[in-house]
Amino acid sequence: MSESILRVENFSVDYGVGDRAVRAVHDVTFSLGRSEVLGIAGESGSGKSTLVYGLTRLLRAPGVIRSGSASLTIGEEGQRREIDLLSADERELRALRWRHISVVLQSALSALNPVRRIGKEFDEVLRYHGQGTSRAERRARAEELLAMVGLKSDRLDRFPHELSGGQRQRVMIALALALSPDLVIMDEPTTALDVVTQREIIDELRELRERLGFAMIFITHDLSLLVELAEQIMVMYAGRVVERADSSDLYAIPRHPYTVGLMNSFPPLSGEIVPMSGIPGSPPSLASLPTGCAFHPRCPLASEECSLSSPPLVVEGSRSLACFHSSPSVRERLEIRS
Amino acid sequence: MSDAPLLEARGLTKEFLVKPQGSTFARRRPFRAVEDVSVQLREGRVTAVVGESGSGKSVLARMLARTVSPSAGELLVGGKVIDPHQRRDLTYTATVQLVLQDPFASINPVHPIRHVLERPLIIHGTASREVPALSKELLERVALTPGESFLDRYPHELSGGQLQRVSIARALSVRPKVLLADEPISMLDVSVRLGVLNLLRDLCDREHLAILYITHDIASARYIADEVLVMYAGQVVEVAEGTDVVDHPRHPYTQLLVSSVPDPGHQDRVRIQAPSATAFPEEGCRFAPRCPLADDRCRRQVPELVEIGTGHRVRCWRVEEASVLFSSRNSQKGGGEIT
Repeated sequence: MSESILRVENFSVDYGVGDRAVRAVHDVTFSLGRSEVLGIAGESGSGKSTLVYGLTRLLRAPGVIRSGSASLTIGEEGQRREIDLLSADERELRALRWRHISVVLQSALSALNPVRRIGKEFDEVLRYHGQGTSRAERRARAEELLAMVGLKSDRLDRFPHELSGGQRQRVMIALALALSPDLVIMDEPTTALDVVTQREIIDELRELRERLGFAMIFITHDLSLLVELAEQIMVMYAGRVVERADSSDLYAIPRHPYTVGLMNSFPPLSGEIVPMSGIPGSPPSLASLPTGCAFHPRCPLASEECSLSSPPLVVEGSRSLACFHSSPSVRERLEIRS
Repeated sequence: MSDAPLLEARGLTKEFLVKPQGSTFARRRPFRAVEDVSVQLREGRVTAVVGESGSGKSVLARMLARTVSPSAGELLVGGKVIDPHQRRDLTYTATVQLVLQDPFASINPVHPIRHVLERPLIIHGTASREVPALSKELLERVALTPGESFLDRYPHELSGGQLQRVSIARALSVRPKVLLADEPISMLDVSVRLGVLNLLRDLCDREHLAILYITHDIASARYIADEVLVMYAGQVVEVAEGTDVVDHPRHPYTQLLVSSVPDPGHQDRVRIQAPSATAFPEEGCRFAPRCPLADDRCRRQVPELVEIGTGHRVRCWRVEEASVLFSSRNSQKGGGEIT
């Protein structure tokens, strides 16, 4: 991997404090290379959104960052400096946001102010976070940004409700790229859109990334989407990273039983129709996590060991894996059992 | 198995009056959310309706459930036409039941599951001493076992997947012959979706229900359905048996849809490029503004749904050329509108 832009170590987030605290993100460690795309896959409640809210310091009470460190490397080549994201104060954060890190949220409709024209949003970002530019220059830049995501400049005079879901999400992406940030975080940006629009946006994102070279963290529950888009994929379950690998490796040989289950949860688009089972049971509540490996009550390979202690995330070459029982042939073994 | 479909819709159309955008004082104009849709639901078969948001698929489901009254067209149960003016019709609701997308919104949160299941039983005249046993049995039919352990729990104590099963159990309580499921899995956690889908398939196979499965996910339709209808802008644009719609799509829109689904196994697949969705044209084929093949006739005249093979019908003037569009997917790349 090339030089890293984001390094996260032993990062944990709780909701609430004291006896009633619930651990939403547990001991997550990873690093992201410059211009790399990391995909985070997991179901609702797996901690994937909480992780990035914590890292970008957008987490609100009762969310509390419990432990760990996170640093972002910014600046031109030759004069890079590292910024500790977790100790940065509001002023420092404000200097980072939009310019170095930007976030695109799932629901563009709730992220955009309904009583403001789209142009105003661009104007504000460029005015408060960009260099001192005139109103006309900001307008020109906003038009340029919209053109980049395939929207006409007259959209700047519209209100969010006048745009379709796909157009709104494109506006969010254009905004996120307004100041050419080093890292863009996308939290389920296409989940609420239909597949044709999703495809258009994914293709655009790929092209923009190749051209502009930003690093990206892309969060979704759709593993097949990540395989197409990301270089690395991290799979989360109940707040922990259970598997991390190069995306083509993960797709070809998933090792964690949960990853296998997740892949078997999407019926394929071609081939014979064979009965598929998904994963038995339901995702656990974070307030009452099972002992040991959080996945063991749903896991076909679980043994006594799994209910006693939680498997550590072990690095094996380019892959990290948290499972006592996994082997490269785990997929075949699981298929025979089910 | 009898020949008459359990539930049949003939030429269902729904017009809503809407204000044209941007003009406060303009008169409201009719907008056809669903236009001339015919569908037959048969015993022991799953019929899927696939379409994106705004395609009219939910309005269709609601017309079939009779919660929205059609502007034109008729409904037939077992071959007999339903009188549209008879509003409160217990025999109809005892035959056709609707399962909605979001179980957290469609189940009253202040009552325990027992209440949720008992209400339809009582309304439909089950003797009160049989009610508790029946409720328990219903839960077990949707694989919530043991049934009695769920009866006194409240909706918030159940996961999304479990609650959707409760909502299916509630629909089953009146012993319907037809189940309409409007996006029943799209709000659920990914890992439990297949469980609910398999349950629907099971009910269809074991209890010979006729099921209408409405979805935006064409892969899940392929997995579960015996027949798939594709809707675009209120019209059915393609119908085919089994996996044909996905494996051999003929309508340009279906091809666009299939080629847009993330499918890492086939990343080399040729993609149809089409402009983004726009407002639908008032005349001609509704897909024409986005269609790479559209010509003058497409822009002037609405095509009919034409049979091109056994059970395979397509609404496209240029269906011959359109099939070439897709089969070039794997053989030849580039050229024309295909990239």
